[in-house]
Amino acid sequence: MPDKPTPEQDPITSKSYAAYYLIAMVILMATLFWALWDEAWGQRPWKAFQEKWKERYSAFLNTARSKSVTSEKDVEQDPEYAKLKAQYEKAYQDSKPQAEEARRKLDDASARLLAVQSVFTDRRAYVNALTYELETSTSASAKAKKQKEIDKYKNEQATVEFPDGSKKKFTFPQLEETYSEIRDERTKLSLELGDVLKPVTAAKNKMDDYITDHMVDLTPQQIDGLKKTAADWDPKIVQINVAEAAIVDRCESCHLNVREPLKITAVSMEAKGEKKPDEYANAFTSHPEPELLRIHDPDKFGCSPCHQGNGRATTSVEKAHGNYEHWLWPLYPKENTQAGCQNCHAADMVLVSGDVQFQTINTGKDLFRQRGCNGCHRYEGYDRESEEITSIMQQIKQMDQEKRANVKQAVYLMKQADEAETNEEANHLNDQAVALRVANSKLDLRTVQLERTTKSLLQDVKKIGPNLKDIRLKLNKNWIPVWLKKPTDFRATTKMPNFRLSDHQIRAITAYLWQSALTDPLPKQPAGNAAHGKELFETRGCLACHSIGEGDQMTGGTFAANLTRAGEKANYDYLVRWVHNPRERTRPYCIYEKKDIGPEDYAKHGKPYIFDLDHSRCPNDGHELQVQNMTVMPSLRLSPEDARDVASFLITLKKKEPSDYPDAPFMDDPKLKAEGAHWIRQYGCSGCHEIAGMEDEGRIGTELTFEGSKPIERLDFALSTEIAQRGGKNAEPIKDAEDLARLPDGPATKPWYNHKGFFEHKLAEPNVYDRGMVKSEAEALRMPNLHLTKQQVLALTTFLMGSEETSLPTNYQYRPQDYRRDIQEGWWIVKKYNCMGCHQFIPGQQTALMGQQRYIDNPEFLPPKLLTEGARVDPEWMLSFLSNPALSVTDTNRNGVRSYLQVRMPTFSFSENELGKLVRFFQALSRQPFPYIPDMRPTLSTKETEMARSLFSSTAAPCLKCHATGDAAHDKTATAPNFLLAKTRLKPDWVERWLIDPQAISPGTAMPSGLFKKDGGQWVFAGPTPPSFQGYEKDHTKLLVDYIFQLTPEEQRKVAAAMPHAKAASAQPKTNHRQASAESGHPTSGGTR
Amino acid sequence: MNKNSWIIYASTLCLCGLLLLAACNKKEETPAAPAASQPAPAATPIDPSTIATVNGTVKFDGTAPKPAKIDMSQDPACKGTNESENIVVANGDLANVFVYVKDGLGNRTFDVPATPVALDQQGCKYHPHVLGVMAGQNVEIKNDDQTTHNIHPTPKDNREWNESQPPSAAPIDKSFAREEIMLPVKCNQHPWMKMYINVVKSPFYAVTDKSGKYEIKGLPPGDYTIAFVHEKLGEQDQKVTLAAKDTKTVDQSFKASE
Repeated sequence: MPDKPTPEQDPITSKSYAAYYLIAMVILMATLFWALWDEAWGQRPWKAFQEKWKERYSAFLNTARSKSVTSEKDVEQDPEYAKLKAQYEKAYQDSKPQAEEARRKLDDASARLLAVQSVFTDRRAYVNALTYELETSTSASAKAKKQKEIDKYKNEQATVEFPDGSKKKFTFPQLEETYSEIRDERTKLSLELGDVLKPVTAAKNKMDDYITDHMVDLTPQQIDGLKKTAADWDPKIVQINVAEAAIVDRCESCHLNVREPLKITAVSMEAKGEKKPDEYANAFTSHPEPELLRIHDPDKFGCSPCHQGNGRATTSVEKAHGNYEHWLWPLYPKENTQAGCQNCHAADMVLVSGDVQFQTINTGKDLFRQRGCNGCHRYEGYDRESEEITSIMQQIKQMDQEKRANVKQAVYLMKQADEAETNEEANHLNDQAVALRVANSKLDLRTVQLERTTKSLLQDVKKIGPNLKDIRLKLNKNWIPVWLKKPTDFRATTKMPNFRLSDHQIRAITAYLWQSALTDPLPKQPAGNAAHGKELFETRGCLACHSIGEGDQMTGGTFAANLTRAGEKANYDYLVRWVHNPRERTRPYCIYEKKDIGPEDYAKHGKPYIFDLDHSRCPNDGHELQVQNMTVMPSLRLSPEDARDVASFLITLKKKEPSDYPDAPFMDDPKLKAEGAHWIRQYGCSGCHEIAGMEDEGRIGTELTFEGSKPIERLDFALSTEIAQRGGKNAEPIKDAEDLARLPDGPATKPWYNHKGFFEHKLAEPNVYDRGMVKSEAEALRMPNLHLTKQQVLALTTFLMGSEETSLPTNYQYRPQDYRRDIQEGWWIVKKYNCMGCHQFIPGQQTALMGQQRYIDNPEFLPPKLLTEGARVDPEWMLSFLSNPALSVTDTNRNGVRSYLQVRMPTFSFSENELGKLVRFFQALSRQPFPYIPDMRPTLSTKETEMARSLFSSTAAPCLKCHATGDAAHDKTATAPNFLLAKTRLKPDWVERWLIDPQAISPGTAMPSGLFKKDGGQWVFAGPTPPSFQGYEKDHTKLLVDYIFQLTPEEQRKVAAAMPHAKAASAQPKTNHRQASAESGHPTSGGTR
Repeated sequence: MNKNSWIIYASTLCLCGLLLLAACNKKEETPAAPAASQPAPAATPIDPSTIATVNGTVKFDGTAPKPAKIDMSQDPACKGTNESENIVVANGDLANVFVYVKDGLGNRTFDVPATPVALDQQGCKYHPHVLGVMAGQNVEIKNDDQTTHNIHPTPKDNREWNESQPPSAAPIDKSFAREEIMLPVKCNQHPWMKMYINVVKSPFYAVTDKSGKYEIKGLPPGDYTIAFVHEKLGEQDQKVTLAAKDTKTVDQSFKASE
């Protein structure tokens, strides 16, 4: 600095701004660094996840590696493995001298090739260069000159020094030749070496395969691969991008292990020494259902179509999961994850993958139907029959009008024609009239088709609640108002919900129901034997659907009503008719005329008063009638006496006398009727019940098909909006203790202003959003309390949350057109009739009967498992069996196939439509071709027949000991079906498999495995074989199958007679299926088929 | 700007730079060392000089029901007579009671014997009617009859199977992996044939003989719960304290169920 006196007022020295600059600079720099940090880390929280992942995943792989090594060692100790290893070593030793020789030659050839190659490639390059110059030379002289140069170069001798030290000189062509010679030699040698080593390599591969086959975990090599991937990982966004479905999911940027083949739990991803898995550990788990990922390839489906959330967001966990106010589809909470299935699988009634059932969503779908939700709320796919019937009726009406108009017009045209001035004009008009008549006959044919469809639909359409037209015949009058007050007080598990009706509403409603009900006479029934009835009730299978006993004492299924207090409400005479055939209807209903048809209508047309599935046309207008009660309850084909016994037993079930109910004279007050009709319409009772005069009432509730995608503002939280948004101490509006207990997560403490919160609260206490509002009776919420359990609320909430209008393209919807569609449609029927109450369809699935003591003690008396039913039975036979399980028209009080079972396969009166669907369902479930074309079975020679017979009746394979023969004395101890049914009923391929390992087809069956063993390539009998089998080379199983398929009643009788104590079969089973299908069911009472 | 501010500025910059560097240069943590694999737990040793014994007699209170006769005429190969073995009582002594140490062994483990336990089918009857076996130990099932049997256990906690055994077929060797008391076994072809296998984790079990007697040897001293289980009469427990080299008698009686 210059040495100058500083002026006094020099701003530079008098006042320094350094401090300001410094502060500004620090702020600026801080901002800069913050910006840099934010760019690198703040906006990219996934980087931290990836760092942690690298660390923990590598640590995890290290432990996995060591475990995997031990298990590999275990496998190596197997004697089997030792054998393979010895084979390998022997092969290795055997080939050693040859291999070494070959390898030496090969090495030598390689070395020589290398020596030649270095010189050759050099010179070839030079030749190529010269050739290029020749090609690019313009003048002929230049070309000639170059050619000369090339020739000269080619003739020059080049020295090659071989590995053994020898030197040799070659011209270029010689060099080229030598080079290819040595190269060919080397190829030959290496092939030779391969041949020599072939057995060694094969043995080694066998050894490796053995390890892979016998190790449950990954092999060390696979784990090493994974470790390398983890170590080489560079931070990056991992993204799934599916253009056709507009899916961009970056979830895997943090959830790095989702597709991991190893099962990785949060615990195994914990940091060392931590007690609880932190957010990283939870993020790094593998997908809990790897099977689902296999079916739904993440590269096609992404993550968000199933889970929701904002797949694009990467700036924070909350945003990525969609848990902020600007994202409409937040991630489904863990317990509601299965909601995601509904997006594409709305058409499926049962979701199952392998033997894993998706219980939450399946229960939700089932409850929606079983609790009659669709009685008030339309939902696409549910209750299709009634919608179709309505639309067909409209079509028929339209066509009728059209026909009448046509007739009128034709008459008019003909009249015109008669008066026409010219013949030409007359002909023209007549032609028009004729055309109209043809059009009418076309309309007639169309009507016939629609009537046929209607017939099926009328058989298929069911109501969840009973027919209230019959209440005068069926019920204790005084019981009705008490029931309506609060149904759960009478029967805690009933499907009937609580409508919170006031006393005057109950009086009016019961008055309407009572006064509008049918009053037809009911035949008086003599009393039956209640003790026998109890036995029948407990053994015939009633308890697969119905339950008995209350609270802890309850046994039986939950599908139908608990009958503990049936005696208080029911009328005995009606009960007998009901037990005998629940489908029997008091009066047929004409859906065209919209009235109940009585004997007077039939008399008017001179017709007998008979109506059933074979007499289902209206006497007035010829349209299809509803001739059955619209219940899913089947006929158990009990004799009238047995029906009386069961009814006599049921009528004894009561806690108090029917006469103890207070008199209800108001039900006969005609003044109340009109008001009653009003309230019945108000509450939509006809959604679940048949009620006189209300047959065509529409649904009163809102459609729920896309309820889950309603914007939250359109869900009316009413006065609870604020507490729902705020959460905290008073966040729970429900006060009633019973209703509080229905909330899956208990009383709310956190904010619950979302779809889940809305649905859960509404289902727990439907009128919760009326709380604090001033509403008249007519304005108050109509939805009744369904008295659901926690699990049921959870399931229905999940179902509703998943009921969304999806943005995915239609080909993402699961609407298959092949055999899978048959499966899809079949499940709706299987669930509708509660087939799973008796039968097992999915391995491990529990039926209602299985839990009952009677069947725990004697599981062989359970109904058969249907795990491979489609592969087992001939579809044509199945059709006849399903329409008439007795396989007989006259002898119906029995099981057609398993006559030894007390539990009865009932007659469901399936329509043509449902029969077809069910048969296709079973075939599809077992992946059977449809239609089924049976193989020609070979006819056995006399010798073969004798051989088979000796096996069939040997003490070592005492088939007839367990299988029924039709002889009553023998069949008392039978536990398996009659062989004579096999020919028409079974598929031979299945029978052979069954003989070999029945336990693999129906686990727990009485038929033992191990009857046959594989000897070389042949299936032979495992016990001592009769001497005639000496030298027989075919499978013994096939022989036995062929024998069974050609078994005649005479043959069976002969064999049985020859067997000690197994008496001769006196009768053949009542059917052979062609007969049965031809004769199948023409009973006179309404309903059976 | 004076010298000091420059220094401050420069040092701030350096500091920030260092911080940045430190933030970026997060050290790679060394992966955790592989955890040592756990060897299969060896049997807990028992000092042979301290071992104690429990024995006793199981009685049946009241009059024993007469065993029902079984009609075996269905199969002529089933020779001899047969009667129900539901409740076998002689002079008030109850046979076929499974007695085992239900509680008190703590976390001890025991070697599984390599020799199998025998189960014979003879005269269309199981011998023995009640069998004890350690989890993992083989049961060797033989058929001495001239008829085919099938062996069909219907367990609650083990896997179910059902195999055919023709006359003079090779013995079937099977084991059960999980503890299960009174696991029913039956033959579907001879409905009266029924027996029970008891699968336990310790070798301390016994089945009462015809005179109702049992003995469990080789127990280390300790406090035990002894369970007496009968197929029809249910389970009863007793507590017992054993000192070293003790021999204690624990009797039990079952009442006829109503």
